[in-house]
Order: sequence, then C-alpha cells, then structure tokens
Amino acid sequence: MQLKFSGNRVLILGGTCEMALCLAEHLIKSGLYPVLSTRDEKGKKHIEDSLSAFDGKFETVYLNFSDVDSIKTLFPPNTIADSHPDYLVDFAHGDLESLVASETTHDIDLYFSENISFRAEIIKAVARAMLKKRKGRLMFISSVAVLRPNLGQGFYSASKLASEALYKNIGLELGSRGITTVSLRPGYIDAGRGRNFIKQNNKIIETIPIKRAIEPSEVAETILFFLSESARNFNAVEITMDGGISASKYTL
Amino acid sequence: MDIFKKIQELFAEILDIERNEISPDTYIFGALGTESIDLMELAVEINSEFNIDVIDDDIFLRRLREYISDIQTKNRDKSQSEGCNPVAYIKRKYPFLSEKRIIEIIKDIEGELDFNEPILKVKDIVDYVYYWQKSQNQS
Repeated sequence: MQLKFSGNRVLILGGTCEMALCLAEHLIKSGLYPVLSTRDEKGKKHIEDSLSAFDGKFETVYLNFSDVDSIKTLFPPNTIADSHPDYLVDFAHGDLESLVASETTHDIDLYFSENISFRAEIIKAVARAMLKKRKGRLMFISSVAVLRPNLGQGFYSASKLASEALYKNIGLELGSRGITTVSLRPGYIDAGRGRNFIKQNNKIIETIPIKRAIEPSEVAETILFFLSESARNFNAVEITMDGGISASKYTL
Repeated sequence: MDIFKKIQELFAEILDIERNEISPDTYIFGALGTESIDLMELAVEINSEFNIDVIDDDIFLRRLREYISDIQTKNRDKSQSEGCNPVAYIKRKYPFLSEKRIIEIIKDIEGELDFNEPILKVKDIVDYVYYWQKSQNQS
C-alpha cells in the first residue's frame, strides 16, 4: 500500500533519540521533511552526524523542556504559515526511575513541570500554528507502561498518562478544524532505555507473547502509517503496540 | 487596512457568515453563535494579521465576571478597604476599553442583562487590537 500524506513538515520532539533518528530516515525516504528538536549543540551534532547521508533534507531546532521561552524560537513572529509543521511527533520524555514513596519534592516538581506543563505549552503553540492552516496531525509516543508500569515507573507512567490526556483533548477540541491526534503505546523497544532494560532483565522477553522486542524501524513504520491519509480517521485515541504484553496476566 | 473591516472579514470567514451580519455593536456570543474554538481561531488570525501578542483571556474579556465579583465583594465589606471604583478597577485590568464602554458593560451585567448574558462585542476586540498596535508602535 502506498501511503499518501497531506503535509510535508514533521516536527519531531526529542529529536536526538534513536527512534526519532530512525523515524527521520523513514520520513525523508517518504518525501517528508523532518525538523528535529534538540536541547543543545551536542544533540544537534549527533543528529547531523546520524543523518549525514541526507544533507539538506532535514533541519534541527533548539527546544529545551526546562525553558518555556525556547518555544518562541520555534515560531518567531512574522513567520509564514508554510514554515509551520504539518505534523508533530513527540518522543520527548525525561527519565525518572524511582519509587514513588522515595522521590524528593524538588525532583517530582521538576519532572512534572518538564514533562507535563512544558508539554502543554508546546502542544498549545503547535496547535495554534496548525490552526492557521486548518490542518495538522499530532502524535504522542507514549508507552505501555501507562497500563503495566514496572516498579520505579510511577512518575514516568503518570506523566505519560497526563500527556495522553492533553493530546486526546486537542483531538476532541480541534478535530473540527482538521487537527487530530493519536497516542501510540509501544511495549519493549530494542532502542535506547528499552534496550538497556532488556539487557539487564533478559527474561523479560519471555513475558511478551510475540517473544521479541519491537524494532525501532517497526515503530517508525507505524508512525508513518498514522501520519498518512490512510489513518486520518483515528483521532483522540490511544493505540497499544506491545506484542500482546498488556493482554496477558503472565509476568516474571 | 481598517481594523474593524479586517476583524469583520476574519469573523465572517471563521463563522461562515456574511460580513454585513457583523457590526461593531454585535454581541459575539448571543448574536453570532460563536463557540470558544471560533474565538481561539480568531485569536490566532489576529496574532498573525496584526503581529501583536494576543492574550485570549484579555481580548475576550474572559475574567470580566470574576473582576466584577471582586469589586462587589470589596464594596460589600468596606471595613476592610476604602471601597473599589469599578470603572478604575476594570480599566486597570483591560486598559484597551474606554471608560464609556466599561460603564456600559457594568450596566449590562448589574442591571439590564442577566448575569450570564453575553457581554463581549466586536468593538471590544477592535479596541484591543488598536490599543496594542498603538503601544507596540510607540515602543
């Protein structure tokens, strides 16, 4: 099936992670133009090195989840609507592996501020930019941890759930204006933090009905589908892609 | 371009109505059947057309009733304060509104109209744009 797209520019939050880079390659190969966010020069260089084969077919933007003002650099005044994103794919999420009853007040506040409050601000800015075109698709990369958190994932899953709620409401509120949302809940992915976790807990694979982790390219293909016109009627919804983990009672 | 004419054009496009249905004195909610999403869209358009920062709460007088309640509370218990001049209080919150318009609004709220009746008129939005455009040019 040939996927068709109604837009071109894809803003990717958390642009330095392995899945974002893998998605960027898929997007470029599908004729789309990824704009990857990074919080510093090191991240920018990492993106540029990773995508060096695609020079001129992507760009990077500065965005720091602990700095609300950095959103203004994404949409400076007088920018024409054509430079606004047609799609948003949100991979960004801070790491806070900690037992709920053991975390400090400061770190709890900071984590929720960066991962929920800031996200509300960026969603607001992107949605308003899309409103100008009366078209847009936002995709949040959540996690199956919202259904089946491991120990220490309380803050992570709470902020993922809160973020899903924000995306869901954008889809409800702006669907009539052509702006729709989907949250994807992948299970164990063989990339980044997921890969490290699987290495340290190798029996975990046995708990997955398909007996393997999901490849980053599989996540990228799924995202591509959800950005395409073929998936246009999915809106304000959470899709689980976990190889069957959440359907099973079986745990280690 | 004349600010009113532009706002009229934007509104007509968003609401899919004829321009002549919109005058400066048109009540935005009561007469036009506007929904909050329409206003959000209007705010985005105004921001882009006039290049001003639009604060939705201010341009659409969203906290007006809260401010009127504040005034009523302050004036009910004058032992705690010297009382509150409603016009001056609202003017501080919404500097773009004329005193004449504020008096009209207070009259609407306190008397002739039901407390939940719509207040916002097209001319209030025009005044907001005019005020902030002027402030921006001066700075």
